[in-house]
Amino acid sequence: MTKEIIKLDNISVTFEQKKKKIKAVQDITLHVNQGDIYGVVGYSGAGKSTLVRVINLLQLPSAGRVEVSGDVLYEKSAQSQQIVSTKKLREKRRKIGMIFQHFNLLNEQTVIRNVAFALKHSGLKEKEIEAKAQRLLDLVGLGSRKNAYPTQLSGGQQQRVAIARALANDPEILISDEGTSALDPKNTAQILDLLKDLNEKFGLTVVLITHEMDAVKRIANKVAVMDNGRIIEQGDLLQIFTNAKKQLTREFIGGGSAKAIATLRDFQLAKLKSDERMVQLTYIGNSVSEPLLVKLYRDFDVEANIIYSNIEVLRGTPVGTLFVIIKGTPAGQQQAIDYLKAQKVIITQIAGQKPTEGSREK
Amino acid sequence: MSELFAKYFPNVVYQGWTGDGGWLPAIGQTLYMTFWSAIFGGILGLIFGIGLVLTDEDGISPNRNLFSFFDKVVSLFRAIPFIILLAFIAPLTNLIVGTQIGTTAALVPLSLGVFPFYARQVQVALKSVDHGIIEAAQSVGATFSDLVFDVYLKEARAELIRVTTVTLISLIGLTAMAGAIGAGGLGNMAIAYGYNRFANDTTLVATLLVLILVLLVQLIGDLLAKVFNHKNA
Repeated sequence: MTKEIIKLDNISVTFEQKKKKIKAVQDITLHVNQGDIYGVVGYSGAGKSTLVRVINLLQLPSAGRVEVSGDVLYEKSAQSQQIVSTKKLREKRRKIGMIFQHFNLLNEQTVIRNVAFALKHSGLKEKEIEAKAQRLLDLVGLGSRKNAYPTQLSGGQQQRVAIARALANDPEILISDEGTSALDPKNTAQILDLLKDLNEKFGLTVVLITHEMDAVKRIANKVAVMDNGRIIEQGDLLQIFTNAKKQLTREFIGGGSAKAIATLRDFQLAKLKSDERMVQLTYIGNSVSEPLLVKLYRDFDVEANIIYSNIEVLRGTPVGTLFVIIKGTPAGQQQAIDYLKAQKVIITQIAGQKPTEGSREK
Repeated sequence: MSELFAKYFPNVVYQGWTGDGGWLPAIGQTLYMTFWSAIFGGILGLIFGIGLVLTDEDGISPNRNLFSFFDKVVSLFRAIPFIILLAFIAPLTNLIVGTQIGTTAALVPLSLGVFPFYARQVQVALKSVDHGIIEAAQSVGATFSDLVFDVYLKEARAELIRVTTVTLISLIGLTAMAGAIGAGGLGNMAIAYGYNRFANDTTLVATLLVLILVLLVQLIGDLLAKVFNHKNA
């Protein structure tokens, strides 16, 4: 039984600026299971950062309910408002690690003192704090730089120190607020892999805020897409990837295929006849071992014309995408589709008559 | 050498090293006034400066009333010209030190004159601490005192040393005016014994001594700020 470690219910955050009300987050419900790597994506200003700051109450919501590992931190109903005590909140925050886009280390303290700072109220003795900080730095591969000052380190190294600090109090949750957005591609990949490693080794739940879909594709298992203060789509990464309902989601997640669809539409490259339809075939990992398209023609008399193909890696598993126009009798097409489904190919209708299921067209 | 000096600086020599109007007491009075009013004014300025930052809208414990109190007091005292402040708060000085005249009496107006200036400088210095760093500290469960002492004051250390240097220099300037209430010092030497008696050589030497003092403070301040700065190293 998976435990819901973060439960945000009907969260709204409203900022008041000179008589103008800005609704940064509107009635969002988001539940994160223990052990998830939950990606939250969206353009700048969508409200992602505001939303995750609600988890450790760095941002106080204006309405809703916040529950983290079984403790209600905030609850507001029509009658009453309940906020956890300052002392308890500090203790809870130590169990919710957080890293930031600009690392936010104490510049005037050495790397090891930065980690030790988080352990100040851990009840450990100074010697034990030192030893634990050293262990954490070793864990992120920076044990030898403990006496350096943050500005003497590269961005990737600084973020590693920030991760060591975030992990100091053995948190169950790690929030990354655009944690890789200021890093170059190589460092980004390393930091993401480190997060995934921590997730696998210690069962750390990770909430990953980012505007880079690649980061989510690399390590997340769940994803939520935010726009204008709302979550417009959320669910399993693969499910969202293969069957995005919203245009914005497709823009984010679809990557190449979303562009391909747009190109096809704009230039009317695929003019379909009445006995044709265009479908998207998605296959995962090594599930495809048979020469599928040849078989369609041979066994069902259905022609398949490939107009676009792409392969991407989701959480380390290759996922292939094919856009094909299939042509044949309705019965033949149906047989072909049933056959493909039996081969664990995910089929999404893009255009043409007689949509099957999961239609993406209005 | 000393004969040559006596020829061109007769009034400087006339003042003598010790005794009433001597150079050593004048230097001592300037140092005494600078030191103690830096301590009192500094503590007061630090309290108000920190208060302004913490209670500000984006501070760690926003409080509109308290902020407005700090803000108004600082603005009010900054608005009063120092020479007027000297006279204006004489009754208060009398109450605190038992006299309104002399070097010790000057400490009260000097402290009150310098603290609002320092408070504003401290406010600016502390504001330079990136809000993200405060937030990161809060996210690991830092307490209020952690935030004030380990984050604000330590992170702004180099900046605080710089503004303290600036404040000390402006304080040395203020001590020169304290001569008006009989506080003595190098400023008084330059005006009362130099300018008023047409002894230009005395004015010159007194000015040079103040200049040396200012340069020394600046030098030490710059050095310390450099030692304590790891941000732009």
